[in-house]
Amino acid sequence: MSFREKSAWVMAVVMAITGLLYIGLVHGASPDAPVMGPLLPYVLAVIALSVVVQVVLAVMSPREASAPMDEREKLVAAKAGQVSGVVLAVLVVLSGGVYVFLPHGNMLFHHLLGGLIVAQIVDYAVQIRLLRRGY
Amino acid sequence: MPKRPPITNRVRELREAHGQISQSALGDAVGVTRQTIIAIEQGRYSPSLETSFRIARLFGVGLEDVFGWEGD
Repeated sequence: MSFREKSAWVMAVVMAITGLLYIGLVHGASPDAPVMGPLLPYVLAVIALSVVVQVVLAVMSPREASAPMDEREKLVAAKAGQVSGVVLAVLVVLSGGVYVFLPHGNMLFHHLLGGLIVAQIVDYAVQIRLLRRGY
Repeated sequence: MPKRPPITNRVRELREAHGQISQSALGDAVGVTRQTIIAIEQGRYSPSLETSFRIARLFGVGLEDVFGWEGD
């Protein structure tokens, strides 16, 4: 398994775990509580876990970690970005649709952040698929 | 399953004919990863024109001695 694929796997897991943490924090908070309550621990968890897993991967494969993406990996990243961009756009529109019927600013924020998390996980999933099965 | 590109290649054959150059060494020589060389050999990825020329030049052959077109 290449460094990029390992990186995509661990980052997908990090985003999924921290995403679940965020959902838990939002459900545990009052609907009118400031969004900073769940947001701050979520952001800190994403940063901390991302740094830890990337450092571990870099220590395990220092040569690959420092190498720039090659032409195939760049194409894979671009395609994954294209797909996740569409997913994000759809989820943003859906969040807006929910806001039309349930106008609550905090929930709009949470739905948009949720859309961003899902789109990022899709990005990593597409990268994994293309890296494994061909572009 | 992504559609395979209609381009065939003799990269593995040439690699083995030139003193068993490893996939990793070939990748380093032409500026791609070992995984990309594997994908090229398995027909899952068509390299750029620049990488194709680099591979051909490394083996001292022409482009069409390495790559071929399959189908219409």
